[in-house]
Amino acid sequence: MEIHQWMINYTRQTEWIDRRGLMLWIAFYTGGLGGGLYLVSLFFNSIWGMFIGWIIVTVIKGGAHLLYLGKPQRFWRIITRPHSSWLARGFIFVMLFVIFGAVQLMFSYWLPDTSGEMVFKVLAGVSALVVAIYTGFVLNTVKAVPFWNSSLLPLLFVLCGILGGFGIAVIISINGGNVNLATAEAWSRWLLIANALLIAIYLWRAAGRETTGKQSVMEQIRGSSALVFWVGIVILGIIIPLIIAFLGYVIEHMAPGILVFGVACEIIGGLALRYNVLKAGAYSPLVARANK
Amino acid sequence: MRWGMVVDLRKCVRCYACIAACRVEHFLPMGISWPKLVALETGGEHPMVSTYSVRCNQCHDAPCVEVCPTGATSMREDGIVTIDQDKCVGCRYCVIACPYQNRTFLSKDKDKGFFPGVIQTDFEKAGKKIYPHTIGTTEKCNFCMERIDYGLEHGLKPGTDRAATPACVNTCPAQALTFGDLDDPDSEVSRLIRENNGFQLHEEYGTDPSIYFIDGMIGESYTTTETDKKEEPVPA
Repeated sequence: MEIHQWMINYTRQTEWIDRRGLMLWIAFYTGGLGGGLYLVSLFFNSIWGMFIGWIIVTVIKGGAHLLYLGKPQRFWRIITRPHSSWLARGFIFVMLFVIFGAVQLMFSYWLPDTSGEMVFKVLAGVSALVVAIYTGFVLNTVKAVPFWNSSLLPLLFVLCGILGGFGIAVIISINGGNVNLATAEAWSRWLLIANALLIAIYLWRAAGRETTGKQSVMEQIRGSSALVFWVGIVILGIIIPLIIAFLGYVIEHMAPGILVFGVACEIIGGLALRYNVLKAGAYSPLVARANK
Repeated sequence: MRWGMVVDLRKCVRCYACIAACRVEHFLPMGISWPKLVALETGGEHPMVSTYSVRCNQCHDAPCVEVCPTGATSMREDGIVTIDQDKCVGCRYCVIACPYQNRTFLSKDKDKGFFPGVIQTDFEKAGKKIYPHTIGTTEKCNFCMERIDYGLEHGLKPGTDRAATPACVNTCPAQALTFGDLDDPDSEVSRLIRENNGFQLHEEYGTDPSIYFIDGMIGESYTTTETDKKEEPVPA
């Protein structure tokens, strides 16, 4: 961009999605997915699900976040301002989740049904919920980007994370894990519908938030992000999993391959949703273009 | 005390001297620029170009200070928002939160020299020692706080004495930039804002920037307005 053209028109944010920013996209999604899976696994009392959720958050989310930082060796400094920064709050809860989750997994494996297990289940569960939701708050507190400045965003992110969690729970169930397949499928169906409705409401609300908010929505529906929106979010993330979910309602024994395909589509949909939310975030022009 | 600046858009001649002065003062790598010049063309039958010389607004309620997870970005008592590059982790939350996009993340590819891959000039070598820039952290304008601090220590008045005044203000050949204390009602900046209806950029975000602009007629430079007035047909 030429220096004299800078920020005259609506300007897309690039730091958190382009180039190395892709790491942040991965970190944001896997935080939601790992946290969501952990909560779902607590619901089913599936130790495998909890373990996978814990690994996703600790290794993939944590690793991607560290790789994104300009000075990763200073990561510990992020805890110093929780009173004002959602990034600091989120980091603290990720650390708490890693600790509480590890202790709880040890209790569940070696000392199940003890009061210690119950205490750490509560602590790890609360931490997992914050890990899944905080990235929504990180974005929605940015007043400068109207598309993100919505109270629905944390809800959308956590819902998407729990939906992905139920998806992986289905795979765990197929592989003989301690998950009730019928319950997981039923929850997936309702969450898919809720997720689709929430996405629609979110876009509708964002379109009414300044001209820049509308620009962000148009960018998704008709602009350069349209392919990711229609193919990734709508077809792969909503329509195909919904069809499979309702087929499962009608057909008694669904082929495991189809279920795995549906879950893969759900995960792609979740990734596409995070990608487009980050990609479409834009700033209003610095100065108003006058017509005199 | 709250340091502030007034940019008189009627006087700016788009010479880029403020940008050059800042680059020299802070030994900025070629890939980044703390101040920026925004030029926009107006529409209509007689389109004209208006220029905004912009830099970090040193907001009183700075979103960057609020979101910084490490405390690397902080506000001094005199209102200047600073970055401690030894504390910055390079998360870029401040870059995202700034509604004015006046923060830059210094990545390796932006740390360019004047002649990349060919030679490093003596000026650049000196700059690396005097004013090191840390790759992987965020940077922005700091109102030449080193000059202000030096000046105050030596009994000088920022905005009046050149040694205590930001480099861009000293350099501006059209005197479009004025620096001073916004809390002092008798200062030059306060007078200019009061008498010329000075305005801040994006007041709706509630950030209360310390940089005010004087224009009144966006898209029409001072000179153009005077010329246009002369060309107006005289009523019979």
